[in-house]
Amino acid sequence: MSCRPILKLTIPAKAEALKGLRDALIGALDREGADHQTRDRLVLAVHEAACNVIRHAYAEGQDGVLRVTLARQRGMLRFALRDFAPPVDPGRVKPRDLDVCRPGGLGINFIDDTMDSWRLRPLRRKRGNLLTMRKRVPRKRHGETT
Amino acid sequence: MNDCSIEHQGDFALVRVRGEVDLSWSQKVRKTILEALGKAKSVGVELSEVSYIDSSGIAALVEGFQNARGKGQKFALIASSQPVRSVLELARLDRVFPMVDTVEAARA
Repeated sequence: MSCRPILKLTIPAKAEALKGLRDALIGALDREGADHQTRDRLVLAVHEAACNVIRHAYAEGQDGVLRVTLARQRGMLRFALRDFAPPVDPGRVKPRDLDVCRPGGLGINFIDDTMDSWRLRPLRRKRGNLLTMRKRVPRKRHGETT
Repeated sequence: MNDCSIEHQGDFALVRVRGEVDLSWSQKVRKTILEALGKAKSVGVELSEVSYIDSSGIAALVEGFQNARGKGQKFALIASSQPVRSVLELARLDRVFPMVDTVEAARA
């Protein structure tokens, strides 16, 4: 199935780069016809995924880059985050119990609640990890406003 | 523009947060809230001008709330903006935090 790229971005794995990532995603999702509520949830989910790469995969302060790709596959949007950090154990990356009130650990919950599906896998032969997230967002019709 | 400041009003401290609270500076928000709790009996965090908040910003609020509760201090979120409310709801924290509409209500 053909997959039309909408956005390709490589950012430094630094917290200071997150604002630029959010702005780029907002523009791309607006063009794709996501309503504002869906757009903001998607931006938050991708932002949180990028935060996890910066904080945990690379460990804070370590240099690295993050490649973010957004593509449309018919009615689905596919977000891919590729890092070049040491392999992450996907079994350790899961949502936590929100009934327990404690600081931190919410990012995966935001991703899990927002996306229709997501998968994290370490890249065996190449260095790094790939997180893919999918969300059904109907394409905006010509002339339609959100 | 991102900014976080403390205004002392007797036993009450008002922490005003503005801008997009994300991983790049949420530690400053955290430290400011904890500093306010160290100097006042009651703390309110005003969030009406917060246009974005991520999980690290929410964690700063949760830590402040838990710190206050542990020491028997009052802690409230004031005039939370819609983006803040949306993320609090997503984290199921909207019914955990004391939330008020005005500074006067937080002081009462």
